[in-house]
Amino acid sequence: MSTMNDQKTPSSGDVYSLAEAEDARLIKEDAESLSQGQLIRRRFLHHKAAMVSVGVLVFITVMAFSSIGFAGLPGWWGKTYLDAGTVIDGGRPTLSLIPTWLGGDGIRWGEYPFGQENTGKDYFALVMRGTQKSILIAVIVGAVATCIGAIIGAVAGYFRGWVDSILMRVTDLFIVIPLLVLAAVLGQIAGNLGSSIVYLALVLGLVTWTGLARLVRGEILSLREREFVSAAQSMGSSSGRIIFKHLLPNTIGVIVVNATFAIAGAILLETSLSYLGFGVVAPESSLGLLISEYQNSFTNRPWLFWWPGVIIVAIALSVNFIGDGLRDAFDPRQTQKRSKKRKAKANA
Amino acid sequence: MKTPSENPAAPVLSFADLSVTFDTEFGDVDAVKKLSLDVKPGEVVALVGESGSGKSVTSTAAMGLLPHNAHITGAASVGESNVVGLPEEQVRRLRATNVAMVFQEPMTALNPVLSVERQMTEALELHDLAYGQDAVDRAVELLEQVGIPDPKRRIKQYPHQFSGGQRQRIVIAMAISCNPDIIIADEPTTALDVTVQAEILDLLRRLKDDLGTGILLITHNMGVVADMADRVAVMFRGDLVETGTVEDVLTKPQHPYTQKLLEAVPRLRHADEALASAGRSGAAEADRRLVLEAKNLVLEYDMRGHKFRAVEDVSFDVASNEILGIVGESGSGKSTIAKAVLGLLPVASGTLSVQGEDLVTLPPKKAKAVRRRIGVVFQDPAASLNPRFPIGDCITEPMVIHRVGTRKERLDRAAELLDAVRLPRTVLNRYPHELSGGQRQRISIARALTLKPELLIADEPTSALDVSVQASVLEMIAELQAEYEFACLFVSHDLAVVDLLAHHVVVMKDGRTVEQGPTSTVLHAPQEDYTKRLLAAAPVPHPGEQRDRREARRKLLREQGLRID
Amino acid sequence: MLKFILRRLGAALVILFGASVLLYVLVINSGDPLSDLRESNADNREYLMQQRIDNMNLDLPWYQRYWSWLTGVGKCFALQCDLGTNRSGVSINSLLELAASSTLRLVLLATLLALVFGISIGILTAVRQYSGLDYGVTFATFLFFSLPVFWAAVLLKEYMAIGYNDWVREPDFGPVQIIVIAVIAGFLMQVFLAGSMRRRIITFAVTAGFFAAALPSLTALEYFRNPQLGYIGVAVLTFAVALSATAMAVGVKNRKVLYPALITAALVSVVQVALYNVFVYYMNWFIMIGGLALAAAIPWFIGRSMGGRYKGIAAGVSVATGVIGAGLTVVDHVFRAWPGFLGMKPRPIATIGSQTPNFGGDFWQTMLDQGTQLLLPTILLTIISLASYSRYTRASMLEVSSQDYIRTARSKGLPERTVIFRHAFRNALIPIATIAAFDFAALIGGAVITEQVFGWKGMGELFQTGLREVDPNPVMAFFLITGTAAILFNLLADIFYAIIDPRIRV
Repeated sequence: MSTMNDQKTPSSGDVYSLAEAEDARLIKEDAESLSQGQLIRRRFLHHKAAMVSVGVLVFITVMAFSSIGFAGLPGWWGKTYLDAGTVIDGGRPTLSLIPTWLGGDGIRWGEYPFGQENTGKDYFALVMRGTQKSILIAVIVGAVATCIGAIIGAVAGYFRGWVDSILMRVTDLFIVIPLLVLAAVLGQIAGNLGSSIVYLALVLGLVTWTGLARLVRGEILSLREREFVSAAQSMGSSSGRIIFKHLLPNTIGVIVVNATFAIAGAILLETSLSYLGFGVVAPESSLGLLISEYQNSFTNRPWLFWWPGVIIVAIALSVNFIGDGLRDAFDPRQTQKRSKKRKAKANA
Repeated sequence: MKTPSENPAAPVLSFADLSVTFDTEFGDVDAVKKLSLDVKPGEVVALVGESGSGKSVTSTAAMGLLPHNAHITGAASVGESNVVGLPEEQVRRLRATNVAMVFQEPMTALNPVLSVERQMTEALELHDLAYGQDAVDRAVELLEQVGIPDPKRRIKQYPHQFSGGQRQRIVIAMAISCNPDIIIADEPTTALDVTVQAEILDLLRRLKDDLGTGILLITHNMGVVADMADRVAVMFRGDLVETGTVEDVLTKPQHPYTQKLLEAVPRLRHADEALASAGRSGAAEADRRLVLEAKNLVLEYDMRGHKFRAVEDVSFDVASNEILGIVGESGSGKSTIAKAVLGLLPVASGTLSVQGEDLVTLPPKKAKAVRRRIGVVFQDPAASLNPRFPIGDCITEPMVIHRVGTRKERLDRAAELLDAVRLPRTVLNRYPHELSGGQRQRISIARALTLKPELLIADEPTSALDVSVQASVLEMIAELQAEYEFACLFVSHDLAVVDLLAHHVVVMKDGRTVEQGPTSTVLHAPQEDYTKRLLAAAPVPHPGEQRDRREARRKLLREQGLRID
Repeated sequence: MLKFILRRLGAALVILFGASVLLYVLVINSGDPLSDLRESNADNREYLMQQRIDNMNLDLPWYQRYWSWLTGVGKCFALQCDLGTNRSGVSINSLLELAASSTLRLVLLATLLALVFGISIGILTAVRQYSGLDYGVTFATFLFFSLPVFWAAVLLKEYMAIGYNDWVREPDFGPVQIIVIAVIAGFLMQVFLAGSMRRRIITFAVTAGFFAAALPSLTALEYFRNPQLGYIGVAVLTFAVALSATAMAVGVKNRKVLYPALITAALVSVVQVALYNVFVYYMNWFIMIGGLALAAAIPWFIGRSMGGRYKGIAAGVSVATGVIGAGLTVVDHVFRAWPGFLGMKPRPIATIGSQTPNFGGDFWQTMLDQGTQLLLPTILLTIISLASYSRYTRASMLEVSSQDYIRTARSKGLPERTVIFRHAFRNALIPIATIAAFDFAALIGGAVITEQVFGWKGMGELFQTGLREVDPNPVMAFFLITGTAAILFNLLADIFYAIIDPRIRV
């Protein structure tokens, strides 16, 4: 065995020991290797559906916040969601995306791109305001639920014992009380606190963390058996350091992916609650509330129904696809695909 | 069904210029390069190599089971049919009837939700060999043949009701059920304890003689090769570097890689060598400075309320500049002791003291100070470093936890340690996944030494490593000990490794000490039956010698009144 | 095993109790139950307020109110439930009777359909990972995930129900419609069956050609208002099922399997003619379920006794033939009832209500009525939960497919079908059983919205009104029914879990 390191500097090409070959490679490779973060980013950027979704989401968000302004800042869209006016052409939308050579009206934006509602208010401004609020609610709910879920899941998974039992019993509650029901009750309570969407968002965040908590707990339960955690424990590391430095960063994949799904879920939950009347209440606005308000005008003014719905679907769909792309990027185990190029070569 | 070859030398399995390339996220990887090899009926050919050598890929290619991103050229022929390029349906018909496989991991190779009966009979029914009750009878017969006791009753059971060794026997029974011409055994004993390994090897040898099947044995263990093989093929990084009879390759290796590989295999020393070095049992009795001392140690696991006693009444001590080896098979409690010393498991009774301070009664604050003096190296290089920490952070973590030094001092220390474990300083900013297993294990050693510990706990530090890498890591531990003079508790299942390093040995079984004392006595003049059996079961990489050892083991088992396969 | 189930049941009851306390407290604190009266200008305002305070026990502390509710529920163990009254003093028991049956019917049916279709789609997409089918289905499931229930409901009503009702008055296809339908059908079929380019083109051509020929001829025969199979149709199809099932299992040359299947088909053909009058005039649900059970049991005996060494396969093929044959008989009778049903209800697919008021048809017509009323809500709920089941199944199947024992199964030379269904699927079902239990509660939430959109006077209505009026008893009644249903469903999942996983059982 003493011969193993006799040759400290192996001549390249003629290395006949695995250990030496590995060391030689390590010295040769400079900084060209990628860190895990870079790998994940690269995989995510190659996920087409996710990239398209990012584009759609950014577009909708920028439109919603820039067009009518936000928090006192003015927007570029001239009309407001408050001014009633005369209804032109039955309130039909003036937006047209079909060019004239295809028999359409040409690509134009027009006076009232999304049309007008029955009192003549500009529907574009209304929808943009609803979109703003819906996005805000979703982001707050996602953030609150993710923080609570990640921390409780990590604590339960690391300490096990009674903390874990309580968590599992709380998540069991959601087997017997449907989330929508609990959310509706809390939504009504939030409505009494004030009409601000922040109350509603916080309250919804308080009931939607359990899914993530269970997932994080599961991850932590398996991670804590890994030897680097044992090593940290045996070095005398504190529980806080182990949870926040060692365990949670290693569950970042699960957390990020599920945060996106939580956001998509929150958008839908908010719309459902607002539809039932337990969510956002006037004078605040949201996409769900808009659909709820105008659902009966489907036969006469279908656009009042279509626009908010389409935007909800677009947001939820793109957030879900981004989540899917993130999952593939963080966990490429199930994505081992044969490239087209290789296939062509193999067939030739 | 079978290919009755007039020419007795016609190979049952042959590879001709087989190349396999994988298309991965990081570009093409050549796993096997132009490999040619034959296996004749009744012959055992061992395909030997370290990880990444392409030995398993070769065997999987013969089964037609490679994943879709594999690009295969050349030929892998079973009997007369070339599996490469053959339609799936026809490859399927060759499986089990012409070529069968035994896998490495018996714990996961059987379907957990189907009874053994179902899993055994389905191949028989599928290949039209037996149906219904006939198939069950045949399966019972097969289980009998591979040595499962009470097969009539046990065939109704599920895989989780069998031990690892028994499951491997069931997998072997499945493999021989359709009378294949060739069995490919992919590391069939790697996951098993050494005594079970010896039994499974005996079984395979007996079946081969009874049925006349050829065996392609994939392994990294030279002892297993010496025990089983007729011919040996050595692979290194996708190339076949040497083939020949087992005597030639193991005793007169031609290729430098084979030579180095064989040199790297740890061996039990001969008794006379051992006696000659008996003096190395550390310092004289009077000068021993005790670092770790366990008295009547009892350790228990809490399994949902009811206690499971893992270690019962064990006593030992380790002095500085000494290595104590703890050996035993799985479930012996050897790693549990390491855990208790590290404070990962409470002590149920007895004392466990580090430099005179009893860890059991010490208040938490003081216990943390004691932990400073203990370093640890774990078994699994893939799991023992936090994948999100750069190497520098990994090494300096003990200093951060115990608030030692400034940032600069910490980095200097890390660089110093990297020199000590012979890794370039540039890896400070790398991440663990960029390093190989052996390199990561060296990082673990560096981390363990960061605070200049009095005691190093090494829990199977090399059992997941390749032979040549293991050799360099073991040597490094020995060198570092000479330099830093720490006491070391070395837990291992490998008697040869312990023989190489340890001054004293504790042999454990089922949580109890079987035998303990200086290495030269315990491993070279054992008193207890179990120690003798353990020593007899470990194969050595020399065919002639191994043949003698095999006979000796049979004799020993007979003397002890135990069953021989 | 029994101990395992009892322990789970005990834990479930504790959870139900805890949840009821939580929900009760939250509901009574969610607003002011007198707010509408406080703003009222009625002369007898004080009286009305006092009356409501008495009805709702508002003068008592919360724990006494909860206790009185709980004791009322406790009487359920003596089969004398007393769920209290709502704020106007109407007994909840009477309100619940109507509401519970329609809601539970909807939720159970949707869960069952979603499980069957979701799991099948999941398996198919896992087997064909990264195919066009996989991508298509992935997109569709993500779309379903992202649909607001009520928004999709309005679209379904508008385009599916009203569109179909208008069309069925005078069913007709224009040439463009026929071409489009034929091309789409052909395209979907080739995606579904896959294979080499040549095979795909043939599949496409055959399917498209079939549709292009069938649609005009069926229209000419007035098939859409007057569909029929007839004795002969049922008999021919049943024999076809027997032959193709045998061919798929072992091949038609295997007489041990073929004969029991053919005998079963012959039996079905005879019975459907012999019992024609029973089916038309004396039909009820008892006959329906009993008949289906017999259609499975008798072929099973035939298969077991004639199959010899292939008895397992023979029994399976015969049972499939028997059950499908019986199903075809049912379809035949539904078809026969259809013209009469159209006469009674010219716009068949309903968009409002859970059944047509004062509908007085025979067995088959009532079945059609309830079916068409249930159609849209069931489709909606199924689609929405189907998405998650198919994703879970796909992920679970892919995970299982990389396990060692799957490789072992392949190395035994098993065909891919056996590997997937016998080895992979059973293991993949284990995590799905747990998820299904969680999803059941979510589906009840979805049902609340669905009922609202389709104007059902169901449980959702009870819950919503109760909550809006800060009236705990209706809300708690809703919770009691759905919570109990969820726990029973969970228990089923647990039992199922223990059945498929021997590590729990033995």
